Amino acid sequence: MPANRFNAHTEYGIGIGLRIPHYGHILQKKPVVDWFEIISENYMVDGGRPLHVLDQILEQYRVVQHGVSMYFGNAARPNRDHLRKLKRLVKRTGTPWLSDHLCWGSVDGRFTHDLLPMPYTREAVEWTARNIREVQDTVGVPVAVENVSSYVEFHASEMTEWEFLCEVVERADCGILLDVNNIYVSSKNHGFDPYVYLDAVPAARVAQIHIAGHTKYERFILDTHDHPVLDPVWKMYAHAIQRIGRTATLLEWDDRIPSFDEVHGEALKANRFLPHADTIAA
Amino acid sequence: MQAAGASVAQRLIKPNDRLTSFERLQIYNQQYWWRLLGAFGEDFRGLHAVLGERKFDRLAVAYLEAHGSQSWTLRNLGAHLVSFLEKHPEFIHPRAALALDVTRVEWARILAFDDPEKPPLTPKQIAKIPPDRLRFGLQPYLSLLELHHPVDEMMGTLKRTEISAMSNAVAATHTRRSKAVTVRRSRTPIHLAVHRVNFSVYYKRLDSEAYHILLALRAGSTLDEACASAFAGSKELPTQSAARIQEWFARWMEFGWFCRP
Repeated sequence: MPANRFNAHTEYGIGIGLRIPHYGHILQKKPVVDWFEIISENYMVDGGRPLHVLDQILEQYRVVQHGVSMYFGNAARPNRDHLRKLKRLVKRTGTPWLSDHLCWGSVDGRFTHDLLPMPYTREAVEWTARNIREVQDTVGVPVAVENVSSYVEFHASEMTEWEFLCEVVERADCGILLDVNNIYVSSKNHGFDPYVYLDAVPAARVAQIHIAGHTKYERFILDTHDHPVLDPVWKMYAHAIQRIGRTATLLEWDDRIPSFDEVHGEALKANRFLPHADTIAA
Repeated sequence: MQAAGASVAQRLIKPNDRLTSFERLQIYNQQYWWRLLGAFGEDFRGLHAVLGERKFDRLAVAYLEAHGSQSWTLRNLGAHLVSFLEKHPEFIHPRAALALDVTRVEWARILAFDDPEKPPLTPKQIAKIPPDRLRFGLQPYLSLLELHHPVDEMMGTLKRTEISAMSNAVAATHTRRSKAVTVRRSRTPIHLAVHRVNFSVYYKRLDSEAYHILLALRAGSTLDEACASAFAGSKELPTQSAARIQEWFARWMEFGWFCRP
């Protein structure tokens, strides 16, 4: 559903990621952009240029926070320093919701800076949901958890990824950031039907959608965020919109970043699929 | 990853029709090293220029194996590099002194970029306190370094070379294959402040006495104590010293270096 409690009942349209190569263009030309997504960790600093730029952006634009290091799937509880700085940033930006990933990424004080997939077990559901609830309670805004792209599957898994996602968001009572490109990438790497995944996602919990490009290698696909969105992913996006309704959509382009106009132009292609959102599949 | 790694991979990870368990795990292993080496290389371009590619890569792997990221932000990746190099000079031999100077400056740049800033002291606030009781705090983002090489000049040259290379693809390739940068050692110590103004990072050369005044202030000395210790044994007339100190303080106040202790 477009506006729901997981996106604080907002109706954001099409946004793009706020990226350093575009700072100058945005601050000088002030292009019309519905909203920007920021990587929370880039602004969880104590001073200097990042916060200065952010404050200038906040004067003109709506901003939603997206994290990459909370690691809901860690067996340990959320990092207190990280949580404290995240909460401080939430107050600064006024983000209506924030998101991070259904993954783990650190253990025994060592950080991988990657989004590592988890074994999909009942035990993992419990601690992941516990961590999400703790973050939600601390930051005071709704949390949406994003499905990651992955390159491994575990013998220990007791359920599919989409079953795991559904269990976690129910237990945590949180939203979903539905990354359509990640579903596609994982479906090719693991050999499942991506539409089965899409159709299993509880529509009422989808706060936001991600679209992005990826890179095909000979034996796997890598989620690189350095290309335009490919046709199969657009098709999946159209299917998602049909099912879920008009939903805040964000194009991720994080590497080999072209001009602002090129990135924004790519994002706005999502408009092709939005008019059909008035007809929602039964 | 050795055979033991492959056996762990097999135990935990399913193979698919294209990749073995180990190959699937290797995707993450490669991404991990690519990410960390990339971030480390970005932060220490000067050190890379001094050591050259092969030595720098060997150092980077050794350092990251010893000090993998212990923070949710990659910003702190180089936090232990100076102490690592002091303990393992074999990685920077025979240019250890230069490499250490460059590393100190590059780490100071990172701190200057986004360390916090406290409200600067105003002349009015300072005027209320007698000099013999006047203590200053220094901004957290300000680093004070004693170096043996003109690293600030070297970094300026490196930046100009990189900018020029970016606009010339042929030169860019040549730059990547060029020899390690050499810098002559200075006959006297170079005192450098690494700080920021209007959110940009700058270097400021300091006279020896100025450097020692700032160090003493940071350590908690009063203004009188700091000035007296910095000029102890100086043959300069007190009026000359006073004029210099006044000029320095005027400049440092403009920069906003002073805050409440």
